[in-house]
Amino acid sequence: MAHEFPSQEWTDAFKDAVNANEDYRTHGKPWTFGAVAMVCEKDPSLGLDDDMAMYFDVHEGECRGATLSKGRASVEHAPFVIVAPYARWKEVINGEVDPIKAMMEGKLKMTKGHLPTMLRFVESSRALVVSATKVPTSFKDE
Amino acid sequence: MEPSVHLAPGAERNGFATMTAQLIRQNADDHPAKKATLARMIGRVALVVEDLGMSLTLVFEGGRLTVYDGIVGIPDLTVRAPSEWHMKMSLVELEPRFGLPNPRGEVAREVFEAGRRGEVKTYGALASLPLMLRLTKVMSVA
Repeated sequence: MAHEFPSQEWTDAFKDAVNANEDYRTHGKPWTFGAVAMVCEKDPSLGLDDDMAMYFDVHEGECRGATLSKGRASVEHAPFVIVAPYARWKEVINGEVDPIKAMMEGKLKMTKGHLPTMLRFVESSRALVVSATKVPTSFKDE
Repeated sequence: MEPSVHLAPGAERNGFATMTAQLIRQNADDHPAKKATLARMIGRVALVVEDLGMSLTLVFEGGRLTVYDGIVGIPDLTVRAPSEWHMKMSLVELEPRFGLPNPRGEVAREVFEAGRRGEVKTYGALASLPLMLRLTKVMSVA
């Protein structure tokens, strides 16, 4: 069954996909730098009247928790915050973009966080994206 | 003088420029040796991301770095490479004593081989060797 993006169901399924990903367990093992939040910018044409924020408590190759909340401010305590419009997240979930390349192009914006750390963990970022592609997803614009 | 990193007007629209500025700023904040190196750098470096059709110019003026969108002026040093290699160049290992690129490092050797194959092209590296080595030092996250 496909989970609508974004939703708590999708967020939970992503957490499960991350924890099932052997590559992420390996490459993410040294990650002790805190949670990563992914913010989908509001888009009233898609029924998103506010930014939707997904908070992933990733630690040592495991996702310990995942929550969805409304508003960018709800995840401002996360050490890393990545923001993009709906269409860009759709490309990420469909595996059409490399996360680091997307940041270079300005498609994904890291509005908070330590870039040198993120670059050191480029393979674990890619494993997170691969995990996202494993989640059966339905999109609001399809 | 405390080194500072600035984005030139318009460069904020270039994701690669904002990433590079953020990377050098955070690296300098984290490492006093990199900060000292940045304070000594003088010259103009162009980075061209061939697969994304993006470029930037780093203008080092002895403690003040300005990052421009596109190629501005006549660079002392130009590096042309696909995005994957620009990202890898920030992972080049440094030898601990002087912070110079470690030729025995795995990524350093990969980048060197990519240069031999023509995937990474550098212009002006011989004439501006100190600038090239210092650039590697202030951009490396390894």
